Amino acid sequence: MEEAELTTRLAGYIAGQMPQARDVAITEVARITGGASRQTYRFTLSWTEADGAPRRRGLILRRDPADSLIDTERRVEFEAYRAFHGTGVPVPEMLWLEEGSDALGSPFFVAEEIAGFQAGPGALWASPYLETHAVLGARKWEILGQIAAADAAAVQLSDTLPAVAAEDCWRRELDHWEGVLDADESEPLPIIRAAIRHLRANPPPPAQKVGVVHGDYRTGNFLYDDQGGVHGVLDWEMCHLGDPLEDLGWSFNPVWYFGQGMPGGLLPRESAIVAWERASGLRVDPAALKWWELFACVKGQAIWVSSARAWMDGANRDPILVYPAWALINAQDRAALHVMGRL
Amino acid sequence: MKPDVSQVLADLAGRVARNAAPQIPAAQRAGELGLSAMLLGLAAEMWDGAAEILVQENVALRTLLGSGARLSQDNARRRWLVELAGGRDTSLRLSALQSANAELRVALIALHAELERRDDAEAKALEAEVWGELVAGAERRRLSGSPI
Repeated sequence: MEEAELTTRLAGYIAGQMPQARDVAITEVARITGGASRQTYRFTLSWTEADGAPRRRGLILRRDPADSLIDTERRVEFEAYRAFHGTGVPVPEMLWLEEGSDALGSPFFVAEEIAGFQAGPGALWASPYLETHAVLGARKWEILGQIAAADAAAVQLSDTLPAVAAEDCWRRELDHWEGVLDADESEPLPIIRAAIRHLRANPPPPAQKVGVVHGDYRTGNFLYDDQGGVHGVLDWEMCHLGDPLEDLGWSFNPVWYFGQGMPGGLLPRESAIVAWERASGLRVDPAALKWWELFACVKGQAIWVSSARAWMDGANRDPILVYPAWALINAQDRAALHVMGRL
Repeated sequence: MKPDVSQVLADLAGRVARNAAPQIPAAQRAGELGLSAMLLGLAAEMWDGAAEILVQENVALRTLLGSGARLSQDNARRRWLVELAGGRDTSLRLSALQSANAELRVALIALHAELERRDDAEAKALEAEVWGELVAGAERRRLSGSPI
């Protein structure tokens, strides 16, 4: 769909959601590149209230592409954001969810834009952000601990996300991502297959609690400022119920070291664990965490090979799908070797 | 190395040409060309060494599979490993080398799993060699900008 048509149809949709408003218009539409699982646009919505007052607001549109890096339901992401809005976990406000394809050709949601902050990790490795790593890192893992501490029922996510027993968390996730590898890999992966055999032979203990798992909590998926503050946790499309250690393990995936030699490129591992434990009220079992770190390598590799598959099948030729396949499959193999103590 | 470099380069050529059109929004053009440039850089780095890496790896894997053929306790697998270990790369086209590499890797996965299940010293020694080659292979394929 061309941008002009998208703008017209989106304005019509939003006007239908705001029956009190007049002169609903959309301007300054700009595609945000880099998202591999959704098409993301920022735009300005303007309208006139019933009392005649003019209004303007920066908003975000997240729309499903024909094929994406991560196959998830739009509602999961929308409800996860909505669950944490207004809590200590900073997230943008969700406005409208459309699960049908009539309005814009595919499902989408519209959310508040949190403007004025960095998201990509590229800015982190130079001043003024370089000096904030200790503060930013502590805040990053504090927020992850707050997500782990959340009561899924209290934030109204237990009706949206499938339930799982504490002793089944690891198996459900490993089965799922091994299945993705089986379906999508285009080249055999002996390191990751060895990792899967090791994980199955050495399962972790049952989860301390079944909690909300963000699913992709890493440097690059939150908005940060130049003082070490975090203003929005993004990319909740893989949110699910499970073992909170899964998120901690994913955040420790060495592919997110960014060449800095420490988790997220921000904080020594021990400091991150302290921040997470303090905020979550949970304890880290080192062996269980190690299991989830190796699992993160399996999951990561499954996502990267899915990315290659989506491009090769031709449904989506966005070059963003090629980047993880080329740049991260070897890195993820090396990460798995590192976690297994072989590199 | 999937998707194939040649296919991606062809796609990028079309994308660059489309972005030369004046009506493309500046932000979109910047995003697409920036990403295309990054992929071109990766392609340049991978392309030069790709054949050599695959040839080296295929030789190493055939050696391991030959050792595995002498140790395997599964008759069908032994015959399979013998056949693969006796092969050689007769074409230096990347597609041919990749196809052979994939076949060898499938066999290596099966051999590795068998060795893990065994406790005898010979199996453990060969398992250590398999790990050594997996590490060496990961090092061969490492890109200069690898995050780890």
